[in-house]
Amino acid sequence: MSWGATFRLALSSLLRRPARSGLTVLGVAVGSALLVALGSIASVAESRAVEHFGKGLPVGAIKVADDAPASWQLQTDDFQLAGHKDLNQDAIRQIRRLPNVRAVVPIQAAPVLVVPPSGDSFGATMAGTDLGLGADSPVSVLAGRLPAAASLTEVAVTQSYLDHTHPGRPPGAAVGEAIQVAEPRVEAPGSEVPFRPRWFRAKVVGVVSQDVAGADLLVPLQQTTAAREWELSGAAAPPGLRGEGSIRSPYSALIVIADSIDTMHGVRVGIDQIGFATSAPEHVLAAVLRYLHVVDIVLVGIGAIAVLLAGLNIANALLTAVRERRREIGVLKAIGARDRDVVRWFLLEATLLGFLGGVAGTLAGLLLAQALALKVSEYLTQQGIPIEALRLQDLPYAVVLLGVGGSWLLALLAAAVPALRAAKMPASEAMAEL
Amino acid sequence: MPSMASGPAGATTEEREVISVSGLSHAYASSGRTLLVLSEVQLQVRAGSYVALTGDSGEGKSTLLALLGGLQRAQGGELVVAGQDLRRLPSQQMARFRSRTIGFVFQHHCLVESLTALENAALAALINGVSRPEAVARARALLAQVGLLERAGHLPGRLSGGERQRVAVARAMVNRPALILADEPTGNLDERNAQRVMDLIEQLRHEYGATLLVVTHDSSLASRAATTLRLKEGRLEAA
Repeated sequence: MSWGATFRLALSSLLRRPARSGLTVLGVAVGSALLVALGSIASVAESRAVEHFGKGLPVGAIKVADDAPASWQLQTDDFQLAGHKDLNQDAIRQIRRLPNVRAVVPIQAAPVLVVPPSGDSFGATMAGTDLGLGADSPVSVLAGRLPAAASLTEVAVTQSYLDHTHPGRPPGAAVGEAIQVAEPRVEAPGSEVPFRPRWFRAKVVGVVSQDVAGADLLVPLQQTTAAREWELSGAAAPPGLRGEGSIRSPYSALIVIADSIDTMHGVRVGIDQIGFATSAPEHVLAAVLRYLHVVDIVLVGIGAIAVLLAGLNIANALLTAVRERRREIGVLKAIGARDRDVVRWFLLEATLLGFLGGVAGTLAGLLLAQALALKVSEYLTQQGIPIEALRLQDLPYAVVLLGVGGSWLLALLAAAVPALRAAKMPASEAMAEL
Repeated sequence: MPSMASGPAGATTEEREVISVSGLSHAYASSGRTLLVLSEVQLQVRAGSYVALTGDSGEGKSTLLALLGGLQRAQGGELVVAGQDLRRLPSQQMARFRSRTIGFVFQHHCLVESLTALENAALAALINGVSRPEAVARARALLAQVGLLERAGHLPGRLSGGERQRVAVARAMVNRPALILADEPTGNLDERNAQRVMDLIEQLRHEYGATLLVVTHDSSLASRAATTLRLKEGRLEAA
């Protein structure tokens, strides 16, 4: 008997008892929805925790300072500095060679004077980095876009710039503004002025979130390289100013991206051995993830019990069907159906029940997760922890696959006993007198 | 023990006999006792003949039919149907034998309730590996022959008892079987419908050149057969 013919037989058998079939599908859908909703919430909570403690940096990001590490550096998440050390190309090469390093992003910070359209100038920090890194970029765009990778006339600004110039207004308010930026250079003792600026005009093309160098402006690396060359062309800074705002080494910081959170500690150890201080949320993240993992187990356990109950529901419905269809099964075998045709008939019925229930339940579960995430987001925002609600890219596809595939697989398992029982029925069931 | 055989003169045994039974015995276990229902049955039926099998209830008529149709395994003796030794046929081949060689008509129509009349009639052909278009074409032709083409799309629940049994006849004939085994095919029908169903079975038997073995209590039905046999105390004898 072909798959097509068996499928039609299975479908018609289900449609013959619409109420029972509908209730069985509903049972699977409820179990699957619970599993998907709880699994989604657990998964999103984990990624949100990683994001929150990563402060906008990519997962597995480690900050490297242009300082040597203190001996207890690796016992803490914060920088433990033990004196300046030049962060140069040679250091970058050594770090890139470490195992489990996916990317190394150089950062150069420069002290500048910013004149916004309002004219109220203020001292600020300008951070330059490679802006063509895509997913490994240490910044995320809140409004507008990033400056072009090699542009010397475009800048992005950060929240601290907005706090100075547009307090209380949305990030997009600054996009499109023209600003002037002055890079200072120390003049020789006895000069007319102690500092001489190098001015450039720029357009604000975007607002970004970053915690790389506590910067107000974000520019391509070429801009800060030019600022460093300008500063180096001047006189040596007075002892009181050196190290406070001056550009000490070719790069003021690096962002090193490890393959994963699990390899972050090993990479940090390697950088420590090369001789640079590091900062990464590995300890706090590990503690939070441990707690979340326990929550995961509980939530997924509840979902799994719901799905298991749905599986028992399918098994019960099919066992009842086998009892009701003794004569039909006998007739099918009498007219030539093999045992495997009968098994296939019941497994296809279970497949239809499991698949329909799984799809409906997964969709319902995602909607439920979305609704719950909105509530949680509202609550946490009220508590001063602004966390975004569920986004499309956050959807845990593994959980979605588990919702549909798991329901289907469970339905097949649940149908195994009824299907085998049906297959073992003798063909003589077709004859009432025997 | 009588041997019921007939066939055209000059034909070989293999050509003449569609059923060849020798020393067939079968028993059921019931409440710790063994109940012998068939004892040393001998039977030869030539191809194309029409045999009626009568006997009181519980004499083993349906059991003999089930054994001849490969629905049950014989416990003793020789049983060859359409050249197949049914005592030695593996399960898979037994299923194929039932599908290709036997057309069953049961007392209770035994249609699949969730399938339409057309789908029920085509089902046996689909199980036999016939393509869907061919199976449907055969089923439609047979439904037309039994006068039910207009009701092809109806589920069994919407057909009368006589109509359901006619669909069952169409299903039995869809694979053009060599042997039709009918177990009280008119047992649940009124006289008019019983007459019509038997006319159809006989007409189709003639058309397809099949052998027909009918189990019946009905003496008028038995009288239509060329040969009538009677099962009594597990043994087969001429009626």
